[in-house]
Amino acid sequence: MNEQDEIVVSAKDLTPCKMVNESDDIVISVKDLSIGYGERVILEKVNFQVKRGEVFVILGESGCGKSTLMKTMIGLYPPQSGEVWIEGGNLVAAQGDDRLRLLRKFGVMYQSGALFGSMNVLENVRLPLDEFTELPEPLKELVSLAKLKLVGLGNAANKMPSELSGGMQKRAAIARAMVMDPGILFLDEPSAGLDPITSAGIDLLISGLSHHFGITFVIVSHELASIYAVADRVIMVDCQTRGIVAQGKPAELRDSATDPWVHRFFNREADASHSVEPA
Amino acid sequence: METLPPKPQTECESNVQLGPDGLARVVLKGRLSTRTVVDCWRSLELALRDAHVKTLEVDVSGVDFCGGAGFALLRYLNMGRMTQGAKVTVVGLAAGFQTLFEGFTAQDYDAFHPQPQKSSHPLVEDAGHATRQLLTDLRDQVDFLGGVAANLPPSLINPKRMRWPEVRHVFELAGANAVPIVSLVSLLLGFIIAFESAQRLAEFGAQIYVANTITVVMVREMGPLMTAILLAGRSASAFAAEIGTMKVNEELNALETLGLSPIRFLVVPRLMAGVMVAPLLTCYSILMGVVGGALVMLGLGFSLRLILHQMALSVHLSDLTVGMEKAVVFGIIVSGIGCWRGLQTEQGPSAVGLSTTRAVVTSLLLIIVADACFSTISYFLK
Repeated sequence: MNEQDEIVVSAKDLTPCKMVNESDDIVISVKDLSIGYGERVILEKVNFQVKRGEVFVILGESGCGKSTLMKTMIGLYPPQSGEVWIEGGNLVAAQGDDRLRLLRKFGVMYQSGALFGSMNVLENVRLPLDEFTELPEPLKELVSLAKLKLVGLGNAANKMPSELSGGMQKRAAIARAMVMDPGILFLDEPSAGLDPITSAGIDLLISGLSHHFGITFVIVSHELASIYAVADRVIMVDCQTRGIVAQGKPAELRDSATDPWVHRFFNREADASHSVEPA
Repeated sequence: METLPPKPQTECESNVQLGPDGLARVVLKGRLSTRTVVDCWRSLELALRDAHVKTLEVDVSGVDFCGGAGFALLRYLNMGRMTQGAKVTVVGLAAGFQTLFEGFTAQDYDAFHPQPQKSSHPLVEDAGHATRQLLTDLRDQVDFLGGVAANLPPSLINPKRMRWPEVRHVFELAGANAVPIVSLVSLLLGFIIAFESAQRLAEFGAQIYVANTITVVMVREMGPLMTAILLAGRSASAFAAEIGTMKVNEELNALETLGLSPIRFLVVPRLMAGVMVAPLLTCYSILMGVVGGALVMLGLGFSLRLILHQMALSVHLSDLTVGMEKAVVFGIIVSGIGCWRGLQTEQGPSAVGLSTTRAVVTSLLLIIVADACFSTISYFLK
């Protein structure tokens, strides 16, 4: 595994301070990216950058292509055109070993957790260590258990995914995503379908990991409460314009967005056409 | 204190100093990453395993990079796993890292107990489990048959209650789409039976009776049986997978709460389509099998007129009736079992796959059992 793939936890320097934007270090750069299915274009010529250590949220209404954008960024879907640069490598053009090297720079948590149902939680988490490292067995177990403890699942290692609640599955998926110490974590709808307490717990976990480990987060979400709690910066994608309609800090967009749709979104105001009141 | 020569690592340096009275000191420097920790582990184990260390100090003040694997190595050393019974201290940790290091302790590790492997079940326990499963299956079957019995007649008496678009859709999937595979299998089956029987009958100078053999075998036995086997592979599995997925997605719960019976809504149309499609496909299968046999006979030098004459002589209406009766029963078995296994689907990622497998296996088993019953009954009734 490449050294650059890992989180740097310095024994000398680590103090609980967030490593955001100190040197404008860009870790992800999306250039003129167009995505869609077949002939259908969902987003066209999108450009944005993610800085090292920041919690970056992609948001927008349901069906506007947030998850598709994320899945294109992580190389699952080929873009119609454009480039995705991760830690200095173009994932869209990378092939073979270069692509594998780039893939190991990030971890992904899918909306459903996507834990393998035939393995218990510990086996799920340690799978990347088994496949990609030559670590001795006791160390693999220790690393996996430590990651599980970090996400608050220290006593769930022996459980099967079907025995976990939705929130626990997402936590286990985060542990698996970070077991190889990637510098970037992509999370698809981490709070979707969770109760407010569990959802707040996930937010706290994201903030903690970002704060203590300097992990860069790219999160797809439309949960406003979570966005306000964790996001350093957001971009908002829109179906109509097929592009980014707003970007900045969430509180600023809430208070000073000029676009009426963005203003309604951040202030959770319904469209008048959805009212059932008689006109 | 005796100092062993430092073992240079690619990017991590481990220095083991062994002193008197079981005193030892490990100095780690550089980067503790997933890659470098492997070499570091090997050299430490080599130096410490048989050193009879009683007190070990691990100095990490020279470490400037520590990933998850490095953290695990330090904890492993700290737990005394390389130096059994020794008192181990880790020094030189920065304040922030100390907090993280203490976040996962030896107690956390000890609290984890791998689940013991399940011992093989004793025979009695296995037998009890199998019996209980059989009884549960039987009860489910009775429930299912009761549901079908309650929902099928109203749909037949009042055709408006039948979901005809669904019947047509399933009929197309299970019937029309199966025509190519039924054609190929039946034609080749006709070829095989004709060639095999021609060899034996030639010894008696009775090759003309290949026509009789192929017709009787296809009409009474192989036509219905092969069609049923193909339907079990294609349709029973498809019904189980479709209904099973609906159950996993809570679509069946939605039907129930809408006041719609899943049996009337899903099972009856499939059963209806299965009962209609099986005899039609069987007829087609018989035709293709006979064509295959006729082609072989033509190749053996018999005239088409003679072949057709022999075929017409050999088969009676009663043979065709038996073949069609079998086809109807096999159709009911295939569609009924497919739906039943689909409704039995439990939760979990492998549940739908399990239901599909069960649907095919149960269908095939019951088809053979039913066929044996038909043969026995028709023998004694003759």
